[in-house]
Amino acid sequence: MKTRTIKIKKIFKHHLSQIFTIAEKNVKIQLRFKFNLYSSIIFPFLPVIMSTIVLMRFFSEGVTFGQWKDTNYLVFLFTAFNIELLRTIIQKFPIEMRLEKYWKTLPALMIAPFNKMHLLLGIFLSHLIIIAIPFAVFFLLACLISPISPITIIFIIFIFLLIVLIFSGIGFFLGVFAISEENYWRIFTIGLQLLFYVSCIAYPFELFPAEIQPIIRLNPFYHIFEILRVTWLENNILLTITNHPFQFIILIGTAIIVPLISIYFFKIIYDKFGIVGY
Amino acid sequence: MTDKIIETFGLSKIYYLKGKDKHVNALDDVNISIKKGEIFGLLGPNGAGKTTLIQILTTLLRPTSGYAIIDGYHLLKNTKKVKSKVALMLESDMLYYRLTAYDNLKFFCKLYKVSNYQQKINDMVKLLGIENWLKEYVEKLSSGMKMKLALARTLLLERDILFLDEPTLGMDVKTVNLFIDMIKNVENTIIFTSHDLSVVEKLCDRIAFINEGKILKIGTQEEIKNLSGSEIKVEISLACKKQELLSELHSHDFIIDITEQQKNGFLVHLKEKAYYKDLLSILSNYEIMKIKEVEPALEDLFLRMY
Repeated sequence: MKTRTIKIKKIFKHHLSQIFTIAEKNVKIQLRFKFNLYSSIIFPFLPVIMSTIVLMRFFSEGVTFGQWKDTNYLVFLFTAFNIELLRTIIQKFPIEMRLEKYWKTLPALMIAPFNKMHLLLGIFLSHLIIIAIPFAVFFLLACLISPISPITIIFIIFIFLLIVLIFSGIGFFLGVFAISEENYWRIFTIGLQLLFYVSCIAYPFELFPAEIQPIIRLNPFYHIFEILRVTWLENNILLTITNHPFQFIILIGTAIIVPLISIYFFKIIYDKFGIVGY
Repeated sequence: MTDKIIETFGLSKIYYLKGKDKHVNALDDVNISIKKGEIFGLLGPNGAGKTTLIQILTTLLRPTSGYAIIDGYHLLKNTKKVKSKVALMLESDMLYYRLTAYDNLKFFCKLYKVSNYQQKINDMVKLLGIENWLKEYVEKLSSGMKMKLALARTLLLERDILFLDEPTLGMDVKTVNLFIDMIKNVENTIIFTSHDLSVVEKLCDRIAFINEGKILKIGTQEEIKNLSGSEIKVEISLACKKQELLSELHSHDFIIDITEQQKNGFLVHLKEKAYYKDLLSILSNYEIMKIKEVEPALEDLFLRMY
């Protein structure tokens, strides 16, 4: 039993070490040009200012839009900006992997003794570090405006982690396409953009015409983002889980399936096409 | 127990090109075996298939057909195990230009689980004379320096089999000599390609000539050089002007070609060693300063083969 525990610890340590090594490398590369880093921290705040001013005026008139009203619209808004921040990871993967391709460092990585999950989680972690400051600011602002219990905070962070894992999976999938099929990979980004348009990240569901609403309901992203907001507003995990089990199943299921599918596709595409340019 | 560390069985790789039915046989039924601890040279012109072979043996490319056994592991069935045996240095240095030299070495050492890597990095960079450049970003380094860094990385990874594709590219003569000394002293098995035939000559235990994906010849340096048969080359220096002698030599059909060297010197390539006497009798009419039989060089063979 003891040897088994030691073995599990060793394996766990090995995986963590590989993920951190890749994350450390990525963060250092980002730090090469300090102003890039500063701008990536400052830039997310700019659209927030304008949206807040506009919505503040809008909701001061006593208007309500679905669940959005003057007491909670800022929570919706800051949560939406955090989702948008996390969403940037989807673009991060193709950028990073194309850089690796053109720097010709990809072969060195591909023959290294680590698996694709380490690469996925390494890029995931490095991006979380880079966006940590604006993310934390938005999160704290939302907490100040609409206070929630510590348990709900932990649960909300867990949901955010699952969301970023889903985004990482999608990004990884796009990343391998970006290096093997540079001509076509943007087609996927267009499809993805359409999917996000009908996911109600930063606007209420009720804003859409009644004919489009059934389509939105088919979109798993809508349910995933909705459960995040509902968890915040209800501030009672048990209640939220029992009231919205379907959304939770979609969230957890997607967080498991998407990264696994992306790794599977990474392997298939890599084996089939090789990497163009070598 | 076999002492073979690499064995390939009918390895082939076809690249399909744009256009109907166009394809290139990058590798065509390659069967080679490499012994443990051997320094094995792959020689061939551009596009011969050297890099493709290396990429397949390091798991970067899948062969169209055939397989290989690397240190007892099947290349296609035990890819992870094969990866744990090999390190690669390609002609592109595979370095992160936006990281410092030290961070590059550290990253790969950590990824490959090299123990006590800090000490090993320090020792290696001192050996290669790049210790003062460790804190510099790779993008600022010269191409020779980058190759030294790439070599340091490959050697630091502590793998049994090192694949070195054009490792001396961009290195100055002093560094090339340092490289030769280092490689001669390591115990790893090394598969090595280079266009610098003098390096191949100094380093490799065995050589394979490859062209259009096929292995043309394979053997030790001696065996390869013997392929030139009984042909010999003779270096001659005259005390007087050489034009008259040159005209006379050109009239004999036992001479394959004549390469002019310094002021009154030239290299005569004879069809057979037996004609050496005939050459001497021709030369007896001239005032000769030096006459010397020259060992066949790998370069001559390379040029003849391609």
